[in-house]
Amino acid sequence: MSKRFLFLLCAALACAVLVAACGDDGDGGGGGAGTEETGSTEGVKAVDPASMEGATGEVTYCSGKDTSGDLKETIAEFNEANPDLKVTLVEFPEDAQQQHDQFVQRQKAKSGDCDGFEEDVVWTAEFASQKWLLDMSDYIETRKDDFIPSTLETVTFDGKVFGAPRASDAGMMYYRTDQVKEFPATWQALYEQAAANDGLVYQGSAYEGLTVDFLEYAFAAGGTVLSEDGTKSTINSEENIGALQFMADGIKNGAAPKAVTTMTEEPARRTWEAGKATFMRNWSYCYALSQKAPNVKGKFAVAPYPEYEGGGKAAVLGGHNMVISAYSENPGGTLKFIDYATSPERIAKNASKYSKTPTIGAAFDDPAVKKAMPFAEALREGVENAKSRPVSPVYPQISEAIFKNVNAALSGSTTPEEALKQADSDINEALATF
Amino acid sequence: MEAASIKAGTPKGRRSRGTSERRLAAYMVSPSLLLIALVAAYPIGYAVWLSLHEYSVRVAGLSRWAGLDNYSTALSDPEFWDAVQNTFIFTAGSVTFEVIIGMGMALAMHSAFRGQGLLRTVVLVPWAVLTVVTAMMWRTIFDPTLGLVNSILGTDIVWLGESPHAMIVMIIADVWKTAPFMALLLLAGLQVIPGEIYEAAKVDGATMWQRFSRITLPLLMPALLVALIFRTLDALRIFDLPFVLTKGTHGTNTLSLEAYQTFTANNIIGLGAALAVLTFIIVMAVSFLYIRFVGGNIRGLAEE
Repeated sequence: MSKRFLFLLCAALACAVLVAACGDDGDGGGGGAGTEETGSTEGVKAVDPASMEGATGEVTYCSGKDTSGDLKETIAEFNEANPDLKVTLVEFPEDAQQQHDQFVQRQKAKSGDCDGFEEDVVWTAEFASQKWLLDMSDYIETRKDDFIPSTLETVTFDGKVFGAPRASDAGMMYYRTDQVKEFPATWQALYEQAAANDGLVYQGSAYEGLTVDFLEYAFAAGGTVLSEDGTKSTINSEENIGALQFMADGIKNGAAPKAVTTMTEEPARRTWEAGKATFMRNWSYCYALSQKAPNVKGKFAVAPYPEYEGGGKAAVLGGHNMVISAYSENPGGTLKFIDYATSPERIAKNASKYSKTPTIGAAFDDPAVKKAMPFAEALREGVENAKSRPVSPVYPQISEAIFKNVNAALSGSTTPEEALKQADSDINEALATF
Repeated sequence: MEAASIKAGTPKGRRSRGTSERRLAAYMVSPSLLLIALVAAYPIGYAVWLSLHEYSVRVAGLSRWAGLDNYSTALSDPEFWDAVQNTFIFTAGSVTFEVIIGMGMALAMHSAFRGQGLLRTVVLVPWAVLTVVTAMMWRTIFDPTLGLVNSILGTDIVWLGESPHAMIVMIIADVWKTAPFMALLLLAGLQVIPGEIYEAAKVDGATMWQRFSRITLPLLMPALLVALIFRTLDALRIFDLPFVLTKGTHGTNTLSLEAYQTFTANNIIGLGAALAVLTFIIVMAVSFLYIRFVGGNIRGLAEE
């Protein structure tokens, strides 16, 4: 009898322990060193550009799954050219959030597992303020003219540069040339055409992608997220409410199917490639893939976003940067690899061979790139004029406040006014995080 | 005299043998206790320690004592109570259907017929599939434009973008995956019921329903209750299904997901740890209730 009791107790305990263990996979960083609220990157270590001369040893580079294969080719070529320095690739899951969490977990444990990391453009502030990255300002200073200025903004935090942009990206509008005679000049006209045909698909699921999609409308309408000094939310503005109302109305009147509220990039692409949408908002990677899809092949074109009536044009910058971990034991070797992987020749090759959007202006002029990316001009315009998402150490919370509430408004469970009011208080709460 | 001294000596001797045996027992179990302390008590204690602090997301390495602030923040947040509610709805829904379907499957597998071995293997396939894969499969099946369900029903319901549809899909996915596990546990229980009892009942003219309700169910009770406890505690910790299916939107945010979102995605360590500890306490409380009320039954049944 007591054996049974013990068994049950053990079973219960074992289950309970699992729960607790889930929440306990990291170290918060000990001790109360420093008390300043500002100047949070003070005393961060920097990497010396000279250290890459004659660097040897091993370098581990962590990145999300290399689906296109350009990174693997870069590493293979680098290893062949540098027999004394061996770069190994560690692939994280495809999902951006999981890449973030995998890297954060290693950095919290002060692990040198990843010497270098392929970060999403929005993570710089968070990582830099935790002093997880090395300051690369001195190196970038020597190559300042190479990179497109908007891409450098995404690696800059607190006046320091923390990485080298390897791939940029800007969302674009894919449209069916057999249904759309002339690409609409405004978002409003685009929605009208979409409603009359098979609709527009975009990323409306509650995740980072929706934050980007919403900001494209909001920025075009003249809205902002944070005040100039980054201390207050400005999301609950007339412009933003108007933009959200416009998106929600689009779903109500059939310009976009209700299914967009569950779509990420890939479901949107699948719907589009099945021939079930007239317009698709997506990144440049879809171009090459859609060329192989029988239902849309040869029947579509790509354009930069139209103008928002009463506002202007806007895009939101995406892409990836190469950063060096503060816990790397071989920062010189890592920098040497980054220098190679972001060279103008390599970036051009990534574009012409793998449809990766260049971060270097000169690469867009490369004839091979122009040939491989017929939409290169649209893309360049998008990247150069694209705005960054809010730069803040609490960006994950800000983004969550946006996508959660915008998704609720799109699925009709709340009104745009209510949604942005809630987002406003959520963001202000996030900004007050200790 | 002699007898008295023997009598007097006996309890003394027994006591000393008792303590030495007890000491020996303590030595013997100490390695396991140490191991449990290492793998269980330390992480739990550490999570509690983290939950009593605040760790800055702005300044690296800056932390401060927060006392119970994180707990009061969590408990006054409507999102936490939403998560509690969703978790319990999910648990009640999924466990109920799992018991019913699992019982049916176990009875089917228990009766002798040709192809029985094959059925037992096939039935277990869903249990062998990873939860994340299960979730992806059901997400595809319930895809609003290209999914199987909408094509068959001819509807255009956005299953994972509406409440309560999203919760229903989540329960369906969990039942599909774990009913076989339930069936397996119940089958083990069925196999220890002696066949003679059924034969005797048949001779006495008991109907099939009578045999099930008077013999199978009572004798299966201990196995059923253990299975119930396992599934309930498991369901209370559900994470992977909402993570893949809905990211916790449309009434599917669960306690584990909320803790993960806060701790890992938003990097708010203190509050995240507090949420994990609260989840722990809730699961513990439920398991104690089970053991208190249901566990007593098991003991009662075993004594009969």
